[in-house]
Amino acid sequence: MIKRILFNVFVIGFFSSLSACTDEHSNTSRDGHFKPDKIIRFGLNTAPVTLDPLQATDAVSGRINRLIYQRLVEFGADNKPVPGITRWQQINAQHYRFTLVKDSLSEFPRFHHKKLLTTHDIKATYEAVLDKNRASPHRNSLKHIERIDVLDEHTIDFYLSRPDPLFPAFLVIGIVPEELLRSGHPFNNKPVGSGVFEFSHWPFDGQLFLRRQSDQQLFEFLKVTNPTVRVLKLMRGELDLIQNNLPPEHIAFLKDHDELKFLTQSGSNYSYLGFNLSDEVTGQVTLRKAIAYALDRDKMIQYALGNAARKANGFFPEQHWAGAQLVSYNLNLKKAVKLMQQLGYSKHKRLQLTYKTSSDPFRIRIATIIQSQLKAIFIDVDIRSYDWGTFYGDIKSGQFQLYSLTWVGINTPDIFRYVFHSDSLPPSGANRGRLNSLKIDQLIEKAEQKYELRKQAEIYQELQQQLHQLLPYVSLWYEDNIAFFREDIQFYRVSSDGNYDGLKNVHRLSQGSI
Amino acid sequence: MLNYIISRIFSAFIVIFGVVFIVFMLIHMVPGDPVEVMLGESATAIDREALRHSLGLDKPLWQQFAHFLHGLINFDLGHSLHSKKPITELISARIGPTVELTLASLLVAFIIAFPLGVLAALNKDKFADAGAMSFSLLGVSIPNFLMGPLLILFFSVFLGWFPVSGKSDFSSLILPALTLGTALAAVLSRMIRASLLEILNEDYIRTAKAKGLSRTRIIVIHALRNALLPVITLIGLQIGALLAGAVITEIVFSWPGLGQLTIEAIQKRDYPVVQVCILLISTSYVVVNTLTDIVYGLLDPRIRLA
Repeated sequence: MIKRILFNVFVIGFFSSLSACTDEHSNTSRDGHFKPDKIIRFGLNTAPVTLDPLQATDAVSGRINRLIYQRLVEFGADNKPVPGITRWQQINAQHYRFTLVKDSLSEFPRFHHKKLLTTHDIKATYEAVLDKNRASPHRNSLKHIERIDVLDEHTIDFYLSRPDPLFPAFLVIGIVPEELLRSGHPFNNKPVGSGVFEFSHWPFDGQLFLRRQSDQQLFEFLKVTNPTVRVLKLMRGELDLIQNNLPPEHIAFLKDHDELKFLTQSGSNYSYLGFNLSDEVTGQVTLRKAIAYALDRDKMIQYALGNAARKANGFFPEQHWAGAQLVSYNLNLKKAVKLMQQLGYSKHKRLQLTYKTSSDPFRIRIATIIQSQLKAIFIDVDIRSYDWGTFYGDIKSGQFQLYSLTWVGINTPDIFRYVFHSDSLPPSGANRGRLNSLKIDQLIEKAEQKYELRKQAEIYQELQQQLHQLLPYVSLWYEDNIAFFREDIQFYRVSSDGNYDGLKNVHRLSQGSI
Repeated sequence: MLNYIISRIFSAFIVIFGVVFIVFMLIHMVPGDPVEVMLGESATAIDREALRHSLGLDKPLWQQFAHFLHGLINFDLGHSLHSKKPITELISARIGPTVELTLASLLVAFIIAFPLGVLAALNKDKFADAGAMSFSLLGVSIPNFLMGPLLILFFSVFLGWFPVSGKSDFSSLILPALTLGTALAAVLSRMIRASLLEILNEDYIRTAKAKGLSRTRIIVIHALRNALLPVITLIGLQIGALLAGAVITEIVFSWPGLGQLTIEAIQKRDYPVVQVCILLISTSYVVVNTLTDIVYGLLDPRIRLA
């Protein structure tokens, strides 16, 4: 009898625990006002790490934070800074004045908790970034701010310790309310900004809800790591939009489905093949040139990227204000073989190189293609894939010969100091390849001393020509941004850096919003 | 019996401590620095040192480990290095789905394995046996990363019965539970078959038959009950593994479980989260296996006397 009672208790407990747990993260349980079909769902491949704009460094956090917070400065089509919530004037080489501007409704920006955004909030935000104790990852790019003076509620002055014509381009940190900042508010998981989207709730890392202020539309950002599952969820209507991070076969598959729409936009995220210049083998420019001529980027773009990319010759596309016109290293096997023979290699004496990559399947696929293409010029590539932490650690410590990565969201040419100046060896910068060239250093320093963007651009163009000859990187491509969405989704647009700003205007057709 | 239970619990504590210590040392030894991951390469040495100090990573390893143990004793698991969220919050959001998936997978495994194992044993070397064991072989052979998408394609995309992934209502649990449960059922059914076949040849079964007991009674009351002993051990191990998080299944189905959290934390070198996750995983493993040992001891006196 007791056994039977215990058995019944176990069975009832078992099923009730299942049903009790099940609703915990339901899309609807936390919000009684919206039924699931009213939520617009956006699929992500990774979750945002933090919603604190002072701390965020990963791409997804940055893109989500753009929706929640407003910034002083945005970027125009040519990647030059344009007014965000402020316009500015350069008083002198080391003094900039920023003035808050009214929005399209002729109102000054207001935080989600209804307080007006003033220059005091701007000052507090940037002083917090500069506060050594906060250890903000953005402090280094702003450390030449000497002083910030509030003139009135709408006007603020930034004084610099050295002239910097690019300075406004660095003021891209989301502005947070001063009083919350001082009270230690946890912006990382309870963000309060003044952007188009207001934080709703964040049940767990992979599921974030934001509400659009203008119409109270709820948006769900759902992490679905597996691209196949992301695609299937979109087809089933469990997601409304997905963007990027899809293998070419998935892109081709989705393009064939009439119930889905897609948009593409030329991207600016720069993929490259990096070399260790302190290695006695990959340190030879002849070898790097041979590799550059041996890579068939057209085929890679066609087959591995589904034509969703365009060939790159340098960090910036030609239309960037600092972009240079560079002669492409196109496939030329004869030339590549000749260069390898100059180095003493032949089909009887082959070169062994190690290529390190992350465990991301797309990266491994690219590595495999490169491995295959380099066979033709007597190079046997040993591919080693590691988890991100180990891979990143090895790259920074110079324990590699070849690797491939992508620079995301690069807008300003200060990247050249960060990546190629001899003072920027890790951990003081991202000169991972250990480039040590007096000529390159001098050009970077010369460009930085020019106070006009036009003159800076000229020197940066010369610098890019030099880099193109030295080949510390072999440029691969700029990946296009591609978004797929369901038929009832309207007004989405894709940006060149892959941000999610298109969500600001997106609507679902069935809601009668058009 | 009490001595036996105390000795099992004592060894469980040693194992948990050992696992946590080894993982703590290993995660600090592998390349990759959380401060570098968090700040990127643009940070100055001062910023890196400030962050290292604020996170307590500048202290000697033994102090960091002692600090972790001290927090543990005071039920303070600390904060994630990256998201700054309290680890209790991160874990509590994941533990429910993990337990839920474990229970559901076990249920699926029982429902499939018991009839299959018994059917195979009672029809040894017949068509039913071959069919059941082929099914079992298939279940063991198909990896979860393939089984998951296949189930999604059939049940979600073609039939439209269940959501593709994610955790919403009860229906979202079925496919991940099936994926995990079928693999477990395959192992269990083979074990049940083998164990039952052995028992069916015992003298006391022959005696029961001679006494004229019904076939059902002999199988259910006398044979199956005794055949379950080795199966309990296997179930104990499997529960531990399931509670540890079925990473592949969680990724395929976007299931917000402990396994995914652990992997993400390892990739980001989020030391405190890794430590707590490993502590939980090893504890669940050890607790389930200790309970199994105790139950085994209760059921079979020879074991506790050995």
